Amino acid sequence: MTVTPSQPPLTAEDTARSRDRARVHQARGHGRRWQLLWLLAGPGILAMLGENDGPSMIAYASDGAAYGLGFFVPFIPLLFAMAYVCQEMCMRIGAVTHRGYGELVLQRYGKVWGWFSAGDLTATNLVTLVGEFVSIRVGLAYFHLGAGVAVALGMALVVFTLSGRRYWRWERIVLGMALFNGLFLLAAILVKPHAGAVARSFDFLPFPGGSFNTLLLLLASTIGATVTPWMIFFQQSASADKGMTPSDIKHGRYDTAAGAVLAAIFGVGALVAGAALLTHNGSSITVGFPAALGHVAGSATGAVFALGLIEAGAVAVLTISASTAYAAGECAGVSHSFNNSPRNAVLFYAANIGVALIAAAVILIPGAPLISIALNANVLATVLLPVSLVFMVMLANDTELMGPWANKRSTNAIGITVIVFVGLCGAAYGIDSFLQVIHLIGS
Amino acid sequence: MNHAHQSSGIPEQDRRSPERFEDELVMHLARGQLVAETSRPVPRAALSARTAAGLWALRVFVVLVSLMVIYTFIDQLH
Repeated sequence: MTVTPSQPPLTAEDTARSRDRARVHQARGHGRRWQLLWLLAGPGILAMLGENDGPSMIAYASDGAAYGLGFFVPFIPLLFAMAYVCQEMCMRIGAVTHRGYGELVLQRYGKVWGWFSAGDLTATNLVTLVGEFVSIRVGLAYFHLGAGVAVALGMALVVFTLSGRRYWRWERIVLGMALFNGLFLLAAILVKPHAGAVARSFDFLPFPGGSFNTLLLLLASTIGATVTPWMIFFQQSASADKGMTPSDIKHGRYDTAAGAVLAAIFGVGALVAGAALLTHNGSSITVGFPAALGHVAGSATGAVFALGLIEAGAVAVLTISASTAYAAGECAGVSHSFNNSPRNAVLFYAANIGVALIAAAVILIPGAPLISIALNANVLATVLLPVSLVFMVMLANDTELMGPWANKRSTNAIGITVIVFVGLCGAAYGIDSFLQVIHLIGS
Repeated sequence: MNHAHQSSGIPEQDRRSPERFEDELVMHLARGQLVAETSRPVPRAALSARTAAGLWALRVFVVLVSLMVIYTFIDQLH
């Protein structure tokens, strides 16, 4: 290796990343727009479709089954527009600073805040990962396969995707899998919804009825189905690991916007499919949507929804495990890249596999409250999210780090609105539920 | 890899040289992207007392609400 005195020593991680960047430079130099888009797409789509995970799709289907078409049909795209604002900031920070969220918070604001952020992430990721394995298990149950197969499938995917030892390979494999999130759109088509009714529901009506607490629960879980702490950690770290630079920010925005649009369409698909159960006691269904849909709309619909849940859970296992691994490496100050070998990035690979393994082990515990965990995963994520969002906005406004790519006033206004909205919904549900449980207010 | 060489106009004899290849690859990374650079911590930001107090207030509030959610979750299991 030839290194001039002015150059820092190169590592294997640098070499791997520079190969990917060489292709980006070549595509840009030759004006190959589509190739450039293909090369730079990834973190945004993965964050958004990764968040269309098992518990989220179950939450959307539950919204549809309990309330039919109406408020939640336009609410889901609105939430993904909100998610776009947050994720665009993460991508921009990652591309400008070449560092992940965890290490920036830790180094810029101190170890206490860094470890708090990592703690929040680990807690929500563990709970959410249990939910992912539950959704894989629910999907497989439709094909008469048990929890052991769900665990084996999830862990095999984690190990397989890590074996490439390159960020690019990992990203492409997971992207290929994530596109099967479109199965939820297929499920929606198979239930033959009335197109006019879907279009009319974009006026946000009818507003969901029921108790105030139920409405808060639905809002909190639906918000938690679109924006979560792991997405923030993941997209910023993945953008840095991919080697994105400020010159790629425009394509990063396309990538994030494409992810938001696809995730919104597929999320609404799950809701529309679930709405087919409205007149079939849909509000009483917790997670058994494949079987219920199979009974009401035909076995093909049930099978498509079941496959969708397996895909949603599997992709989220990969992305959420990756976000945990990034955070662990960043906060410990050791190598945290898919472009490094397991020998040189022990903690990164160990955290990636370890967190998935712990969640997988939970679903094998006899009598564990898996359904409750899966349904509450999004709520916990919503409650813990405001702190992550505040630090994200602080980083995006840090002109020492971001220079000319720091937030504009309009972005800050939207970002602060999102933080207040998420904070109020999460807190309102938490406080209202607690007061009911201790009988200080009636239900 | 070949794409990178063709685009940079490197002489044929240099294309076959692994040393030249490594040297060329670093040209595609911004200096700030190199592991040696990203391993250096960014300087600590000075948080004003008001910002620090606001962050602690938010942190305490979030922890309290999280405990309420967890308590409710455990209660509902019974």
